[in-house]
Amino acid sequence: MAKKKINIENSVRRLRFDNDEMTQQELADLVGISRQTVVAIEKYKYTPSLELAFKIALAFNKEIQDVFYISP
Amino acid sequence: MNMNIKLRNTLGEIISAAIAIIWVYSKLNAAANMSIVLISQVLVKGIGISILASIFFAIVMSIFSSIITGSYEKDIVDERDTMIELYAMRLSGVIFGISIVIILALLGWFNLNINFGIIAITLAGFFASIASNFLKIYFYK
Repeated sequence: MAKKKINIENSVRRLRFDNDEMTQQELADLVGISRQTVVAIEKYKYTPSLELAFKIALAFNKEIQDVFYISP
Repeated sequence: MNMNIKLRNTLGEIISAAIAIIWVYSKLNAAANMSIVLISQVLVKGIGISILASIFFAIVMSIFSSIITGSYEKDIVDERDTMIELYAMRLSGVIFGISIVIILALLGWFNLNINFGIIAITLAGFFASIASNFLKIYFYK
């Protein structure tokens, strides 16, 4: 398989607003990370580990592929 | 300027390392005539000043931030912080390693006093710390 850079994007920001306009701090407290990390994830500046990605998906009651996906 | 707790603490570490550099540098000229005991004292005092200043700035900045914002911000360390810390440590290690080689080469080349070299290596450690903290700021911004 040829090496190809993949862009992982997410719908964390949209899901926060869909969940009673949850704040970044509330999400950070739920999954045990800092607010700055939530900001970095939302801006696609940081791709979380698989464990953290699962925690974030669980916080929204979603499957991981509904939160994180590869940009076409 | 909007500064979070990570940036404030990193800035505090840069300032404290700079203070330690100024103090240790002021002893550089006298180093040639110092005994090994005095050199050890300079090193211990320099490192001590750096640690104490770092704690002092962290407390002061935390107090000022709480007064200004009216809330206490907890410093949570997560996987991103660990990753940034690792990058910073790698840069710090590279700079310190290169500095030691350059200092040892200069000591031999110019036939300098070994006390001068010991203090220069300590200064290189502080410079490496400052460089790694600037890298942290780059990642946190």
